[in-house]
Amino acid sequence: MVRENDYRICDLMVCVMARLICDGDTIFHGVSSHMPMIAVLLAKQMHARHAVHLNIPGGVDPAPVHLKKETSAGAELLEKSCAYFPLQEVFDLSMRGGLDVAFLSGIQFDRNGNVNASVIGDYHRPKVRMPGGAGSAVLIPTVKRAILWRTKHDKRTFVEQVDFVTTRGNIDRIVTPLCVFRYETGRLELDTIHPGVSCETLQEQTGFPLDFSAVRRTPLPTEEELKKLRRIDPRDYRNLEFIK
Amino acid sequence: MDKLISLREAMASVADGSLVALGGNVLHRAPMAACMELARQGRRGLRLVKTAGAMDVDLLCMAGCVASVDAGFISYETEYSLASHYRRAVQEGRVAGNEHACYTVISALRAASAGIPFMPVKGLLYGDLPAVNDYFAEVTDPFSGQKLYAVRAIRPDVCIVHVQKAERNGNAGIQGPKFDDVLMSRASARVIVTAETIVPDDYFARGGQDADIPHFLVEAVVHVPKGAAPCSCAGFYEIDRTALDAFQALQTEAELAAYLAVRGQDTYGRKGGGNGRWEW
Repeated sequence: MVRENDYRICDLMVCVMARLICDGDTIFHGVSSHMPMIAVLLAKQMHARHAVHLNIPGGVDPAPVHLKKETSAGAELLEKSCAYFPLQEVFDLSMRGGLDVAFLSGIQFDRNGNVNASVIGDYHRPKVRMPGGAGSAVLIPTVKRAILWRTKHDKRTFVEQVDFVTTRGNIDRIVTPLCVFRYETGRLELDTIHPGVSCETLQEQTGFPLDFSAVRRTPLPTEEELKKLRRIDPRDYRNLEFIK
Repeated sequence: MDKLISLREAMASVADGSLVALGGNVLHRAPMAACMELARQGRRGLRLVKTAGAMDVDLLCMAGCVASVDAGFISYETEYSLASHYRRAVQEGRVAGNEHACYTVISALRAASAGIPFMPVKGLLYGDLPAVNDYFAEVTDPFSGQKLYAVRAIRPDVCIVHVQKAERNGNAGIQGPKFDDVLMSRASARVIVTAETIVPDDYFARGGQDADIPHFLVEAVVHVPKGAAPCSCAGFYEIDRTALDAFQALQTEAELAAYLAVRGQDTYGRKGGGNGRWEW
């Protein structure tokens, strides 16, 4: 039996992302994406052996011997891969409707499913210049399911209305340290709340009103998932975003 | 034809105000020695093009070399966080941060490589980016009537690509991920290659590996071992975290000058050089 103290929030988030992957899906993740990268590797060892792992360096279904801190865009993602299918082709695949899942992030999200990874303030003379949406502006509208993750969950991150709309579109879920959102009929709805998080805390940390009427708890990671995670990621890169 | 020249000479050929495409991706195989030389030479008004940049763009912004950056993403990888010099330069109005999706940079380069003025792209259907950037415009498919966005071609004046192997005549081979370097070499008016090793003249013809960038596209070749450091170069070296940390700790122009003085020079920029045994 796994108890709440047996896992960390990064483990839970990675397991949630892994379970959202279906067997046979074509899946892309980008740079600075250790959590989804590890989630893909985990899913392929659990229920989704035939999922296809695509990435920026271009290795199809790589089996990197040792993950590195910079692996999510590094040459390790060509190790033991069966084909070279680089970023340009992943984008083309999404444009023609062949990409099932893209893992992406952002800085600000609103209840209408808008994502901001660009600026706070005026676009041409911003108060805060953020890194930019990378592939999001073309992938989120074209991929079948965009799964977003963000390790920060507060009122500045989940807002009534984003400052700038980098994109919106086919968002499936947003995974945070407190909950999972589902995008349905043009709105972000609460999907599951993580164990140990109260409705009050979640509402306090969220900048728009939540409907708790049909909410369920996020299932705990299983012993098997945790064991596999430790083997896939012995250096604990899945926790990088929480310790920086 | 022998195109081997010094890094100083090669970067001196990049005029102020040039549209410059940089190879590599984030902290991998970026042409760092070339960027450092541009900074040492005090280049101004560069308009940079890259799908996803990190220290290359950040360093050139810190050195005051940059007028604009067309890119999908500018940031270091997770543990190194944001590109603070780029960010500040955009916020203070010194640099125009022209946000693309990575794919629209690719599309703009594809248009240039095919010699056409724009490329239609799917996906940019929602959001504010088309409204605030003049390089996106709505177009209608003349055959079906479907609405799409056009992205204006980007034809860089020059692209700078760091590779593992090059012949003196310009044939250049990339090991590991090629990122968008091959496309850039087709889209740009001039191509400058910096290389870890200069291989014998018939290396690529003898087989084993084809050149990714054929000689007739290349204007100059520079021999720069560790030419991507502190970024990684597949098959040669990993990210140099100490040198990255040292860069991120820099505050003043004088500190930057001291950092640049001891880094990223070619075998010809050094006394007794040219032997390929250059280290730093």
